[in-house]
Amino acid sequence: MIRFISKRLLTALPTLLIVAMLVFVMIRLIPGDPAALMLGDRTDPASLADLHRRLGLDQNIATQFVRWFGHVLRGDLGASIRTGEPVLPLVVNRFWVSAGIVVTAVALAALIAVPAGMIAAWRQNEALDVGIVSAATLLLSIPSFWLGLLLLYAFGLKLGWLPVVGYVAFSENPFAALLYIVLPVVTLVLHETGVLIRMARASTLEVLRLDYITNARAKGLSEPAILVRHAFRNAFGPTWTLIGLVFGNLFAGIAVIETVFTIPGLGRLLVDSIFGRDYPVIQGCLLFIAFTYVGTNLVVDLLYPLFDPRVTAQ
Amino acid sequence: MSALKPNVVIGGVLVGVVALAALVGMIWTPFNPLAVSFTARLAPPSELHWLGADEFGRDVLSRLMVAAATSARISLLTVVGALFAGTTVGLVAGYFQGWTDRILMALNNALLAFPGILLALGLLAIMGANEYGIILALGVAYSPSVARVVRGAVLSLRETDFVAASRIMDNSEIYTIVRHILPNCIAPLIVLATSMFGWALLAESALSFLGLGVPPPAATWGNMLAASRPFIAQAVWLGLFPGLCISLTLMGINLLGDALRDRLDPRMRGV
Amino acid sequence: MKRMLVTAIVVALSMFGVAQAATRVTVALTADIRSTDPGVNRDDNTDGVILNIVEGLVGYGEGGDVKPLLAKTVDVSPDGLAYTFKLRPDVRFHNGETLNSSDVIWSWNRYMDPKTGWRCLADFDGRNGLKVVSVEAPDAETVIMHIDHASAMFLDTMARTDCGMTAILNKASIKADGSWDHPIGTGPYKFVDWKRGRSVTLARFESYVSPAGAGFDGYVGLKTPHIDNIEFQVVPDPATVKLALSTKSINIAQVLSSDVKELKADPNLVVLSIPDSSKNVLLFQTKDPLLADQKLRRGIAAALDYEQLVDMAGDGLSRPNNSAVFQGSIYFDDVQREGFKTDLSEAQKLLRESSYKGQTIKLIANKRSPMPSFQVAVATQAMLQAIGVNVEIEVLEWATQLDRYNSGNYQMMSFSYSGRLDPAMSYEQFAGDKTKQLRKVWDNPKALALIDRAELVSNQDERRKIFDALHLMALNDAPLLTLYNGLTVWVHNKLISDFKPWEGKPRLWNMRVDD
Repeated sequence: MIRFISKRLLTALPTLLIVAMLVFVMIRLIPGDPAALMLGDRTDPASLADLHRRLGLDQNIATQFVRWFGHVLRGDLGASIRTGEPVLPLVVNRFWVSAGIVVTAVALAALIAVPAGMIAAWRQNEALDVGIVSAATLLLSIPSFWLGLLLLYAFGLKLGWLPVVGYVAFSENPFAALLYIVLPVVTLVLHETGVLIRMARASTLEVLRLDYITNARAKGLSEPAILVRHAFRNAFGPTWTLIGLVFGNLFAGIAVIETVFTIPGLGRLLVDSIFGRDYPVIQGCLLFIAFTYVGTNLVVDLLYPLFDPRVTAQ
Repeated sequence: MSALKPNVVIGGVLVGVVALAALVGMIWTPFNPLAVSFTARLAPPSELHWLGADEFGRDVLSRLMVAAATSARISLLTVVGALFAGTTVGLVAGYFQGWTDRILMALNNALLAFPGILLALGLLAIMGANEYGIILALGVAYSPSVARVVRGAVLSLRETDFVAASRIMDNSEIYTIVRHILPNCIAPLIVLATSMFGWALLAESALSFLGLGVPPPAATWGNMLAASRPFIAQAVWLGLFPGLCISLTLMGINLLGDALRDRLDPRMRGV
Repeated sequence: MKRMLVTAIVVALSMFGVAQAATRVTVALTADIRSTDPGVNRDDNTDGVILNIVEGLVGYGEGGDVKPLLAKTVDVSPDGLAYTFKLRPDVRFHNGETLNSSDVIWSWNRYMDPKTGWRCLADFDGRNGLKVVSVEAPDAETVIMHIDHASAMFLDTMARTDCGMTAILNKASIKADGSWDHPIGTGPYKFVDWKRGRSVTLARFESYVSPAGAGFDGYVGLKTPHIDNIEFQVVPDPATVKLALSTKSINIAQVLSSDVKELKADPNLVVLSIPDSSKNVLLFQTKDPLLADQKLRRGIAAALDYEQLVDMAGDGLSRPNNSAVFQGSIYFDDVQREGFKTDLSEAQKLLRESSYKGQTIKLIANKRSPMPSFQVAVATQAMLQAIGVNVEIEVLEWATQLDRYNSGNYQMMSFSYSGRLDPAMSYEQFAGDKTKQLRKVWDNPKALALIDRAELVSNQDERRKIFDALHLMALNDAPLLTLYNGLTVWVHNKLISDFKPWEGKPRLWNMRVDD
């Protein structure tokens, strides 16, 4: 087991190196200059040169990369161009904010979607199935920036149950923190449920046609018993893999939610940094996202055998 | 052949209507979709503007018709591109294994961890402000998922009898891949492809919301939806109609996709 | 009622730290501030917060003229080379220390140290022309600065908001290792806390002593802090801002001009639209083979209906102004009021005489909110279509557009210049030698000589003549079309009174809130 994990981590290293290089080169090929952005329309050559020197942007890209990468190997991701904050604590802080929301949302979505998908598969082509699939498609097709606004409008303004702006960290006041993340979590749950229902339904359909289910039926087991005892364990496997993928996509997609609900998370940080050409923060964010992505998928693969008896960890 | 199932009919009608609107929109629209009218700003639906007018007085119906073609093109090209690139990578990696596999998968995982928004920004800068930058960015962002699915399928198929038989019969590697392995990957790919079609529509919209979608004044459902947001209280029709277009299209595509999968999946035939 | 849940929390929170009956106001920020270090790491948004905390020796008055702020008087020697600042004797820093000349010297030396990274260093060390030769403090209340040549810009530059007003800071603002801690200034509000990505909190400075004045006057005049606690909250999404205003979770916010109609309907809100000195313009690249033709540029100028264009782009809140001098300036006179004449037949005549043969002209714009760049571009495209000029709009993301602007790589561009109160500085933004700086738009040696002159003389009448002449030259050359001055729309809760933002920035002094 330990060998398996260390091997997986070793094979992840090239991925991280490629991400680091791709990001570094790409972000510098994109037009735009953090120094010019900071000076705005009063970019006199002397001030611009000063700022470039101060930010280390006056050297060529290769030198900049070598220097940056050398620091990264020593665990130093540099400091933000925009705010001067050290990148690593900044990224880690923002990550926890986003992670709290994403993990809660995906867990809830899976709890709703897997049973719903299985029921839909069980009643394939009946009214219940059509209803569930239509609802899933509808949820899928509402962009989260619209859904979020509608929820804010309903629960924040009309009903007045929940706060409209602001964020409280869990460590500061757990009760208040919950109130602030209810709506973003609900928005994400609704959307991800749509994605997961279809996957759960498809994999259940596949499983239901397998021989041992037919055998179980022949043995006279009731349909719910079949569904719970046999189909669930088998159908959950592929869905579980998808959950791993969903995590990766979510960190890219959560910027939208964080913008609507004024949450200081990683997605918003990345978008702001990209628009502000804050190179060290962009690089740090992406490296970190790649790292968590590799980590999440490792965990998913390790837990896979728990859900799918056909597979065992090598 | 049995009679068509209701979901095929509904799906077909929905997709057909969109295709028709897109085709008509190429030849004729009630108004010029780019024509600004100083008097019709935020005009509600009326006899003149059936679906109202936007903040520049542009006719919403005309823009939706033109956008149907643009949005469909973006989604289709994205899906086709991602399928092609992802399938190729997945087949090669899964079939040849070893170092080829390791290198390709390292690249693949790197791309998976790479956010679409940065790709979009980079490609828009390189390709100029047009829809092809978005297509390429989304295509690149989605192909790693395809590659993973295909590689997984290939790995399990590789050891099956018919593939071994094909090899023994001295068929070329490429023939074996195309004739025996590829067809068996189709079913999972269709599920993925129909999902990606929807993702592309929405991703383009989310990018517009963050300021990076298909650049206006060109219309797509996604950027119309994103642009309508500030007017939610004043002119709800601006968001409602493009939103409906996206929802109904997705529903149609998904219904057709599921039906197609049921027909094509060898394991599901005859059930 | 159902608001109870939220109210309960607010009450619970307020019982924690704040004393009873303390007044509290929340202000929305569209983005987080960059730092709390004035003039070092900043943008307009940052300046808007920080300039409530710190003050300089001099500051801008409402008409763009520079007036003493921490100084009681500023005397200029007859040769214009020595400036004597007499400090107001009763000014205190937020930590209780009294301001004296050694603080000024310390702050100045810190700014002039390249390690500080002050944004305006090049404007005072000779690299951009002007050089401060020496600074001395003959006594605790006097500072004398010597410059290398007479200049009308010296005090203006010190007062500039992007220079952080050359704020005078207490030594305790930096940590023992020399790094920045937080601002300990002399402003009406003191810094309390900055939660990155979330909020900035300020508190009333009880010992604040206002400069003389009867009421609001730019960054000088009567300044009295009334609110106990002010919290700036980062709310990036304009749609969320609107909801937050309605639920009273935000008391003051800048909103989009397109929202004015909707928000005015809410009886609990007050909408203010406040013009400033920023300029919304259409730039031409006069080096472009096509647009080098003055006839084409003037044809375009004559084809635009400025009233209608500004009405659409500014949502009916702004008025056209074709001059680089802003409408509130002391130099905005009848000559400046003169603009481009809308005349379609004249436009068509000019086009026929020009080298234009139906080519497509690319017009670059961006969708950076709340700038009207895209709206201006759409209206321009429609109006030029009417006289047969084909314009294609290319929407770029802001950083990319700025890059194209700085490298001069465009045909036409819908652009917004940030505010410049002094007309000479306003002209300097776009006029200059294109071979030396690619971003410069107007390269006419005669005009440049006039601008140089305006930067030297301090006499108002002489400067007025120069600016009038410059305006007429700009109308004739048409290197860019200045369309209208920017405007910021602010909305505040009805319980708040005397909130008067200026130059797009929130001024928190003199403002009151009713319970």
